Amino acid sequence: MEHLTEEQFENIMQGESQDVDFPHLNKCRDCRNRLAEKQAIAARLRSAFDSVKAGPALADRIRSRLTATAGPARTSQPIQRKRINHRIRQLWPAFAAAAAVLIVLVPLSLYFGGPSTARAAHAELVRIHNHNLSPDHEFYSEAEPEKLAAYFKDKLGFNPHLPEPGHGMALRGCCVNHFRGQIVGSYVVDTSQGVMSVVVVTDTPESLGISSQFTKGRQTYWKSSFAKCDMVSVRIGDYTYCAVGEISHEYLTELLSRLLPEDQE
Amino acid sequence: MNDNETFERIALPHLDAVYRAAMALCGRSGDADDLAQETFLRAFKRFESFQAGTNCKAWLLQILRNIWIDRLRKKNLTGRPLPLEEAIVAEQTNENDTAWSNSEDLLENFSDEHVINALRELPEDQRLTLFLIDVEQLSQNEVAEIMEVATGTVKSRTSRGRAALKRRLASHAREMGMMRGRTNGTFN
Repeated sequence: MEHLTEEQFENIMQGESQDVDFPHLNKCRDCRNRLAEKQAIAARLRSAFDSVKAGPALADRIRSRLTATAGPARTSQPIQRKRINHRIRQLWPAFAAAAAVLIVLVPLSLYFGGPSTARAAHAELVRIHNHNLSPDHEFYSEAEPEKLAAYFKDKLGFNPHLPEPGHGMALRGCCVNHFRGQIVGSYVVDTSQGVMSVVVVTDTPESLGISSQFTKGRQTYWKSSFAKCDMVSVRIGDYTYCAVGEISHEYLTELLSRLLPEDQE
Repeated sequence: MNDNETFERIALPHLDAVYRAAMALCGRSGDADDLAQETFLRAFKRFESFQAGTNCKAWLLQILRNIWIDRLRKKNLTGRPLPLEEAIVAEQTNENDTAWSNSEDLLENFSDEHVINALRELPEDQRLTLFLIDVEQLSQNEVAEIMEVATGTVKSRTSRGRAALKRRLASHAREMGMMRGRTNGTFN
């Protein structure tokens, strides 16, 4: 007498008819016992997870993160296209030219317009951070500092200071971005408090419009916030390292302090 | 209704299932919270790829699995050893395991924590497969899609996983003095 195979047992567990498809079960006590045991294990496993439920705080946190990620409400309803009459259609080149002028002038005014300079720089840093977290862009996924350094050297011609992995921090990878019309590098660090990007730019913290200074050890840092993200910057050599993320200023500072050369700590 | 509301309406009802899977993989509630949250945020970013009318729970669980694999890879890349419970251990199956004579009574003696911990001691692929089949009661085809393997592989992983779970429970039972006997589940 041939006993049921493991595959046949699994088919029965998935709901295939025992009597019609597996008449052997009626004759074989051994197979019946084995099936009963598998069913008992499955039922016990299921019941063990009955009490495992997500807490209400998690649901709230996800909702708030979704709202923050979504930004202004995007409608899923189809957009009604309005009919444009022939005369307005003739004016389109003029509209397009005006729009082009605005596209050029508005960013320029953001850069050179006092407090809005800071907002524009902050917005760009946050955009780079969000871009780094987006799944749909070119990202060099690498956790070894040496390989990331080699990538930066190859793409940007310099070796940025990188944190040593450990102490709750792990490198996720890096990306080449645009900041103020220049190509810059940034890397992403996973921490126990969340994910942060470190954007390395040649601009000084002052020229980024970040006015709030503080000192830790012998080092001066600059801090600011924009669109739910906190930012802390520090000058190391010829570069400014801007740490950006939905993480406290203290933690961002902690990461940046680990980048400092010993004589600068 | 905007995208955010649509996503919440369709996806958030599966939060408990996602959280359970995260617990099965991570074992600690803080880590499970983090994994579940990342799953929903990534799912939201890719919501356009979700086909209305298909199994949203299976879609979310596939995203969760991918994030988990990314994390494991990352841990391996950083050179830090994986926690013992996450180590992928080659499993020796014993096709000649005999049945427990009193399986239901015996299983009732284990606490939920014992059972979940025993599951967490299984290799990654068996653990998630067994969880999806037995706890979430997904079909073999759905699990095959989530795990990106053939249906036959799902069957063999489920079978091997259940046998391995039995051996671990038997081992715990022996430690607790609930049963006597040799290893490999041949107890009465």
